[in-house]
Amino acid sequence: MNPYVLTILLSSLGLGTTMTFASSHWLLAWMGLEINTLAIIPLMTQQHHPRAVEAATKYFLTQATAAAMILFAAATNAWMMGEWDINNLSHPMASSMMMAALALKIGLAPMHFWLPEVLQGLDLPTGLILSTWQKLAPLALIIQVAHTINPTMLTLLGLLSALVGGWGGLNQTQIRKILGYSSIAHMGWMIIISQYAPHLTLLTLTMYLFMTSAAFLSLKMTSTTNIMTMTTMWSKAPMLASTMALTLLSLGGLPPLTGFMPKWLILQEMAKQQLPLTATIMAMAALLSLYFYLRLCYAMTLTISPNTTNATMPWRTYTTQSTITLALFTTTALGLLPMTPAIMTLLT
Amino acid sequence: MTYLVSLLLIALIIGLVAVASNPAPYFAALGLVVAAGVGCGVLIGHGGSFLSLVLFLIYLGGMLVVFAYSAALAAEPFPESWGDRSVAGYVLIYLLGVSLVVGLFWEDWYEGSWVVVDDLKEFSMLRGDVGGVAVMYSSGGGLLIISAWVLLLTLFVVLELTRGLGRGALRAV
Repeated sequence: MNPYVLTILLSSLGLGTTMTFASSHWLLAWMGLEINTLAIIPLMTQQHHPRAVEAATKYFLTQATAAAMILFAAATNAWMMGEWDINNLSHPMASSMMMAALALKIGLAPMHFWLPEVLQGLDLPTGLILSTWQKLAPLALIIQVAHTINPTMLTLLGLLSALVGGWGGLNQTQIRKILGYSSIAHMGWMIIISQYAPHLTLLTLTMYLFMTSAAFLSLKMTSTTNIMTMTTMWSKAPMLASTMALTLLSLGGLPPLTGFMPKWLILQEMAKQQLPLTATIMAMAALLSLYFYLRLCYAMTLTISPNTTNATMPWRTYTTQSTITLALFTTTALGLLPMTPAIMTLLT
Repeated sequence: MTYLVSLLLIALIIGLVAVASNPAPYFAALGLVVAAGVGCGVLIGHGGSFLSLVLFLIYLGGMLVVFAYSAALAAEPFPESWGDRSVAGYVLIYLLGVSLVVGLFWEDWYEGSWVVVDDLKEFSMLRGDVGGVAVMYSSGGGLLIISAWVLLLTLFVVLELTRGLGRGALRAV
């Protein structure tokens, strides 16, 4: 793409999220979300084949619907209560509609159907932006309105998302779809704790960003998009295959990796809030996700799939891609668990 | 005045039914023109003259004209009008639904004012629509700059998407 256009699009992506973060008025927050939607559409269609255009169309339609619903809910609240402030969404219909709209924005179940298909149609860097950067602004709004929303709705959204994220990812062979369902499940964990301890929502979001970035960047380094290609990754980049396996297990929430931190703290907070049943269901749902992460690790590192003999000894030349971000994110995705107390003091 | 606004509201509902019954885009655009035009009339009847003017200029005169040109690019040899079988079925059902809702929610209505009046910095007052535009050029200057940036961004997004001949996403044009 023309570098000037690319600069305008990327800086508009930054502008949109910044505006939503900095706003206290619903109209400004909505503007930021729309700027993000607009700016990422040409990035999605950079590869000019019909699958990418289909993904961009689906993304645009769902995000535009969600933005229109956000505007509708904000206008309803302004009409009924005279209040445009983000923290004061007091009318019950407006707050429920707003939560449904924001759930559609980030792909929570039962409004998740677009996310795996859109992710599948994109190349890996754009999928990374979609899974990480585009989630920041709606989650900032969710954290701000969580205290006004019907608690049953939040709990249902969280539980359903964790379950759908687990069950939906079980039959997938394409890794982008698996990462889409992983995103749905992690969003579910983030939502369910937002009414009790919003700082844990922030923590989960941060850890999810690190882990997903590590996963996407590792995939980008070796250009693997399905399980079949993943089985031959070990001979081309053995170190990366091992760290990728650990990154996947971190996404699954296994100690002593970083992914255990948010799940542990969320389960502890739910136990403190006298919600043992919810906590148990969430933990069981995480097991479902863990199954398909383990299957990926199995295919990648624990077995060597049938192949010709030469495939075990390819030339391993230096990569031309920049590796610093991958190294940074992999380090954070694997090693942050001992720093839990420090991170908690930063967030509370 | 009451009769005028009633007439405009009836025309609005008919225009909405005309759009929703799914004819060819030519005729749907005509329905939109009618609906937007009489909607502006209803706004004027409630005191929102500035907004009505801006709606006419920008929505009807800008966006709908562009839409009409785009629909003309995707023209069909035999467009479905409201008299054709598939569309007429939808028209009848929607009119039936409208009359049902009218029967359920029939009430009197009063002529209120649409305009919001707000206070600006403790001692002055501004009318919602015209004053708001003026404020956007004075203390709301940051939002003006951001709006201009967003319009420029939209231009580049559309240009990037509709680039043709192998350099863009739509290859045939």
